[in-house]
Amino acid sequence: MKYSYITPRRKSVLTKEIQLLLTFFTITILMLFVTYFFLLIKDYTYVDDMNDIAISRSDLEKDIQTMKAQITFIEKENLIAQKIYTKNIVLKDSITNLFDLVPQRITLSEAKLLENGLILYGITPNKDIYNFMLQAPLRSIFHRTYSSFYPAQNGWLRFVSTNYIDEELSLSGEVYNED
Amino acid sequence: MLSKFFETIYQKVFVNIVVKSTSTDVYIELCSQNDVVDNFESNFNGVKMSEEMLGFIKSYISESPFFFISVLDMSASQGALPTCEKNRLSYYCDISASEYKCYNEKWTYYTSKTDLYEVERRYKDTGVDFIFSPFTLLANFFKDKIDSNLAMYILIQDGFVSLSVFDNSELLFAEHLDMESPHVNDDLLMDDSSGELDLEDGIDLEDIDVVDSGEPYDDFSDIEDLDSLEEIDEFSDNKDVEEEFYHEEEGLSKEDENPDGFNEDYQRFSLIQSSINHFYKDEKYQSQFIENVYIADGVGISSELKRYLEEEMFLSVYVRHVELGAEVAELARMEMGA
Repeated sequence: MKYSYITPRRKSVLTKEIQLLLTFFTITILMLFVTYFFLLIKDYTYVDDMNDIAISRSDLEKDIQTMKAQITFIEKENLIAQKIYTKNIVLKDSITNLFDLVPQRITLSEAKLLENGLILYGITPNKDIYNFMLQAPLRSIFHRTYSSFYPAQNGWLRFVSTNYIDEELSLSGEVYNED
Repeated sequence: MLSKFFETIYQKVFVNIVVKSTSTDVYIELCSQNDVVDNFESNFNGVKMSEEMLGFIKSYISESPFFFISVLDMSASQGALPTCEKNRLSYYCDISASEYKCYNEKWTYYTSKTDLYEVERRYKDTGVDFIFSPFTLLANFFKDKIDSNLAMYILIQDGFVSLSVFDNSELLFAEHLDMESPHVNDDLLMDDSSGELDLEDGIDLEDIDVVDSGEPYDDFSDIEDLDSLEEIDEFSDNKDVEEEFYHEEEGLSKEDENPDGFNEDYQRFSLIQSSINHFYKDEKYQSQFIENVYIADGVGISSELKRYLEEEMFLSVYVRHVELGAEVAELARMEMGA
């Protein structure tokens, strides 16, 4: 304002009608954008949730696989336990049978159960009693039987009977006994 | 940024309103960038905004949102003062109820605040963007002379006379005179009943009573130098040859251009004479002897006024015709920086 007493009014290309029209369109576009962004956020949240669910599902599938493996392992352990239990029963029966085999005139001082054999320490009045009453049944059970004697102080004989079962032979059905 | 872009697209419409004593001139300029593309002018009866005038203006301003309504201030309570210092303004007159502005930090022009509000109220249908003082118009119109001369510059409008004295762009004195104002002494007006005037013999001013009971004439008679023919010859040496050539080119020297305005011209002469006396006598103003008078003629004055001033006051008078609407439009364009 160099020479005029008053300041000119601010000029604008936007008349009141155009302002109203622009306001209407602006609000409409704004609402469209808000809706678009709302849907965009919803879509993003949905995808995010879907990914989370997929990850959870994957984790659960992994857990299921782990649990299945554990079940298999436990089942195997159960089988092994049952096997051992059966073996133990068999062993118990074997021991019981073994002690039943030992005649009253022979006294056992020690018995060692091996994986595939049996070592018996004892005292016998003489070799014959041992050979007929103990060695004969042992031979029927074990594939190889070794016996050694040495005299005791009271005139009896101490013996060591070493007996083995050959698994390969037992599997092929061959029986091999050795004195 | 966006606003500047739109400004280049749209044309600027400058509506310039010049109020006369009984009518109103509306001058419209259409500008594209800095160039005036077209202009239109129309005169309307009455000094208020009529339906016809409103329709004329609206038909142009509806073409562009960048329209500017300019009004030439017609307030009787306006003027100009030879200083820009606020504490010195009151030395010349009381401007507490006036709006004032400093022109190029050299002098101040002012107008009544009430009249400004009245202008804004009168044109409230279209609004007003600029209100210009006749003194700024005068300074702009004679800017080629004001910067390098000591002279009186007069803007003659229909019903108003704006008078200023500049010494090398320094304002010495200014006065705005309303020809219909009650303060103008009726004695100044020629009374047809007092007898017929012999125009060929000129007017005997001694027979006429003027304002301030003829004191200025006494003062003039005291200036002995003026009685000397040699000194008058010296005056003629100081004549502005360029302006005379311009004057002849325009053909403004033809006799009795407007015979009906003879009475008004005499009234203008009387007002100018009393103003010059006021300038010489009032100690508030730095008095300088005036030799040249440049008149911006906005109404089509007769050659009588020029002759009165030359013969009765020994002034070298140069008259330029001024299109007030176009000049106001130029001021508006200057305001817009165009």
